[in-house]
Amino acid sequence: MQFLAALLLTNQQLTRLAPVDVLILVLYFALVVFIGFYAKGKANTSEDFFLAGREMTAWIAGLSFVSANLGSLELMGWAGAAYQYGILATHWYWIGAIPAMLFLGIVMMPFYYISKTHSVPGYLHLRFGEAARGLSAISFAFMTILMSGVNMFAMAVVMQTVLGWNITFSIWVGAGTVALYVMLGGLRSAIINEVLQFVLIWAGAAMIPILGLIEAGGWTNLKAQIAANVGRSDYTHLWSTVGHFSDNPMGVHWTGIVFGLGFVISFGYWTTDFLVVQRVLSAHNLRAAKMAPVIGAAFKMAVPLIVILPGLLALAVLKNPDGSIMHLVPESAAAAGQHTYNQVLPLMLIRYCGPGLLGLGITALIAGFMSGMAGNVSAFSTVWTYDIYGAFINKRASDKHYVAMGRWSTVIGMLVSIGTAYLVMNAASIMDYVQALFSFFIAPLFGTVILGMLWKRATHWGGFLGLLAGTMSSIGMFVWVYRTPAALRYIAMSADAKPMAENLYRALWSWIICVAVTVVVSLMTKPVPTEQLSGLVYGVTPIPHDGSTTIWQKPIFWATVVIVVFFILNLIFW
Amino acid sequence: MMDQREREIESAELSIWFFCGVLMLAYGVVLVMTGITEFNHPPPNEVLLPWLESLHPTLWWGVLLTIFGGFYTVRFRPGRV
Repeated sequence: MQFLAALLLTNQQLTRLAPVDVLILVLYFALVVFIGFYAKGKANTSEDFFLAGREMTAWIAGLSFVSANLGSLELMGWAGAAYQYGILATHWYWIGAIPAMLFLGIVMMPFYYISKTHSVPGYLHLRFGEAARGLSAISFAFMTILMSGVNMFAMAVVMQTVLGWNITFSIWVGAGTVALYVMLGGLRSAIINEVLQFVLIWAGAAMIPILGLIEAGGWTNLKAQIAANVGRSDYTHLWSTVGHFSDNPMGVHWTGIVFGLGFVISFGYWTTDFLVVQRVLSAHNLRAAKMAPVIGAAFKMAVPLIVILPGLLALAVLKNPDGSIMHLVPESAAAAGQHTYNQVLPLMLIRYCGPGLLGLGITALIAGFMSGMAGNVSAFSTVWTYDIYGAFINKRASDKHYVAMGRWSTVIGMLVSIGTAYLVMNAASIMDYVQALFSFFIAPLFGTVILGMLWKRATHWGGFLGLLAGTMSSIGMFVWVYRTPAALRYIAMSADAKPMAENLYRALWSWIICVAVTVVVSLMTKPVPTEQLSGLVYGVTPIPHDGSTTIWQKPIFWATVVIVVFFILNLIFW
Repeated sequence: MMDQREREIESAELSIWFFCGVLMLAYGVVLVMTGITEFNHPPPNEVLLPWLESLHPTLWWGVLLTIFGGFYTVRFRPGRV
């Protein structure tokens, strides 16, 4: 991301920590390390180490599921996006998450869970064979380790900008702590810390919207102040301005939001990205596995309060020392003394939080970064050990050997991440490619997995070639727009489309290509015998009862409640 | 929504909720003490925003975290079934 490069260039220290803030930070690090040693005693078998013994309750798996996606890079980035684009950024938290999370819980989770797979590439192995598993596992392992490095570097830059800390110090302390607790306790340790981080983020960030709304005089006054300061009224509407690309600050169309974001990107990420799915696989029974994404969705709906609202509040209340409205600028245009969009969350934190509260907010940000690293490195360690090492290099090792491999791959993965962080430090544009690379695989993977689960006629060759074609087409479109920016009008089907629209439509096209190729190739190749599809595909798999007896225990009931609240919220902010 | 099996898991040895409770309790106590000292020595950001000074956010947020953390620490303390 360019914003980190811009932060490095501006090199202004925003604030400094008081002794009480340091105390709060030290307490957090002490507890995290203690949790690592505590969880080590419970990580003896591979099931313990990679899937936390499959004994997490629905609440723990659900909070961990939503927390794995609540990294600080995302918090700061989307708060900045809310300042830049207004309330439209909320789509990435609501339509871009809630339906997919509920679909995972109610429709897909039974197949993941009863197939007893250890990972998403593991499911592809069962359904489509070794080739699809290999492609998915290698791309996932490569991406997670790079993303961990990006998170590490992002944390170091934010700490340097906000507090003036040395970058190398932040990288090594953060990486060392995460490596220690994941290596010791595996997924259990990562999950405990993710739940802790979720609570910490709310404790550290909730003061911003509360005090901000008090200062602005409530939501109605806030809308009026934003309209007056920005000079347009479309910053506080979710849907009424997306009828045309040119009618909203983001330059997107509702079809891109609904089909590109709400369907392909969102379903791709929330239902097939092993980083988040791994958390749900740790649930102790089928009902908990189905409830976990529903609980996660309920909490996800509330996240805009601490991410989007601070960005909107900044448009109204953030002022220069002389009392004039402060105008944040894009990263590419940041000059000395100017603050950028992505600094909006730290700026609001500093505005409202004195010593103590500031330490809590900074600790929450650091916890978010470390949790992001831990999530990536624990998912990497699982996929490396089960789907690459155990599948292609050493198939017949003992369980003890695989646990040792999991610990070693955690440490080595962390060292590679540190290398990535330094690589990114010397060439910030690498981060743009890493982010884009991640998106190359997600949309087509969703096409492959959903066809695999719902269509028994899909064959091994169909799955593999569909995944390959979808991924290659996504890379092709990225390169096309990168080399010829005017090509965006063909991919987004409008001359008014802005760069944000590219991701949405590229995902949509690559998914369509993946599905089309899978269907055509499957129809041309020999069907998989039905008896081999039991436990993997809808229609040939008896779904066991989840054990719920009353309506209050039924995941479908709570999913209905969540989706009704989701529609009401969208109507309120229409 | 929590059945007997879930209660057993969450009360086994050190519960995740116990960790959350302990951390929030510790932070709550630290914030309450900081908030009390700020009555006489308001922090710089509250000097710049006088309306904020009268709300004592550090103190009240500390009280809330102490109650939340205290409840979870006691409710999920080790050994309690």
